[in-house]
Amino acid sequence: MLEYEEFCFRARLESGTLEAWIAAGWLIPAKTEPGRAFSEADLARVQLIQDLTRDLGVNDEGIAVILDLIDQIHGLRRSLKSLSAALGSLPPEARATIQRQLGAARQ
Amino acid sequence: MNADPYQVLGVARDASQDQIRAAYRKLAKKLHPDLNPGNKDAEERFKEVSGAYDLLGDAEKRARFDRGEIDAAGAERPRETYYRDFADSAGAAHEGARRYESAEGFADFADTDDILAELYGKVRGRGAKIRMRGPDLPFHLHVDFLDAVNGATRRLSLPDGSTLDVTIPPGIRDGQVLRLKGKGRPGLGGGPSGDALIEIEIVPHPVFTRQGDDIRLDLPISLAEAVLGGRVEVPTPTGPVTMTIPKGSNSGTVLRIRGKGVAKRDGTRGDEYVTLRIMLPGKPDPALESFVAGWEAGRSFNPREREKA
Repeated sequence: MLEYEEFCFRARLESGTLEAWIAAGWLIPAKTEPGRAFSEADLARVQLIQDLTRDLGVNDEGIAVILDLIDQIHGLRRSLKSLSAALGSLPPEARATIQRQLGAARQ
Repeated sequence: MNADPYQVLGVARDASQDQIRAAYRKLAKKLHPDLNPGNKDAEERFKEVSGAYDLLGDAEKRARFDRGEIDAAGAERPRETYYRDFADSAGAAHEGARRYESAEGFADFADTDDILAELYGKVRGRGAKIRMRGPDLPFHLHVDFLDAVNGATRRLSLPDGSTLDVTIPPGIRDGQVLRLKGKGRPGLGGGPSGDALIEIEIVPHPVFTRQGDDIRLDLPISLAEAVLGGRVEVPTPTGPVTMTIPKGSNSGTVLRIRGKGVAKRDGTRGDEYVTLRIMLPGKPDPALESFVAGWEAGRSFNPREREKA
């Protein structure tokens, strides 16, 4: 985990900007004994926000929408993964039935 | 990897910097790995495109490239990780991204389907560990001068269509921020809601001005009222009152009306200070002119005595 100052330094982020992002809910630091702490994932998230604002011309309102959708996609992907893992462990007969059902649903 | 950057971005060699930037943005929006969590090719293409933009997006580097001083590879900035690598991984690396994951994308399935309800529970279960207070919601509210002095209730329309009754305490100051607990955005994972922060802007009054807890106003009076004294009606924030003007009052004389100023927290009020302004009748008056012309004491009085010294 990274402490506040180290995080600002590595993310090349001013503390005012970081505070604003935290207040907006874009970043959620972990609460630890000495204070707030950040992960490598938070660092990558900062980079994503910077890509969106600097390179792609997205404004603050857009960032909130995009992050929310990305977070939803990852939730969906995780569910889809565990669902397909669960399906993969079924006996071949049951899988064939599901495949037929899916094929029919797609028609 | 070292393809011609102009071809990578799909622009002509004489494209303007703006055209190059537009072309990059168009491609980057399609290809950014975090906008394509499931597409492995997107990362390779994105690298190529951002490498090309690194080179051509900077007019100076672009000129050097055009002159053949640096090659297409010279500008590449390899980037190894994206947010999706954390969000989409298993185990320790995923730990930090978990808190952001949202099950709202299929929350409605959970009501109807047992299997998905199970999955929903899992994702939400993780999220529930993070309790986070909702963000504060800022507002800006114009308040009439007298409402600010006396206190009032105002109704605010929120963006979501609901309304909020705001009690403006008497004596509120310009720029003061009212905090309405729990009226901001909802919290995450059962966390408390944020607060509504209402910044007050007081609209100036045509007659009154405010100085701390006191009210000031200029009161026009007639020459007769100034010379002979009299009772006049004076506006105050709580309605007009009658005030006695002493005989021989002057322009600039300040009279105090106790307890007619701004309401204070302890229930008392500041004072109102009335500055008198003598007004002559609008039309020239022959009687007044002839009186003043023959008025020795008035003519020998020099009101600018002090300025001379």
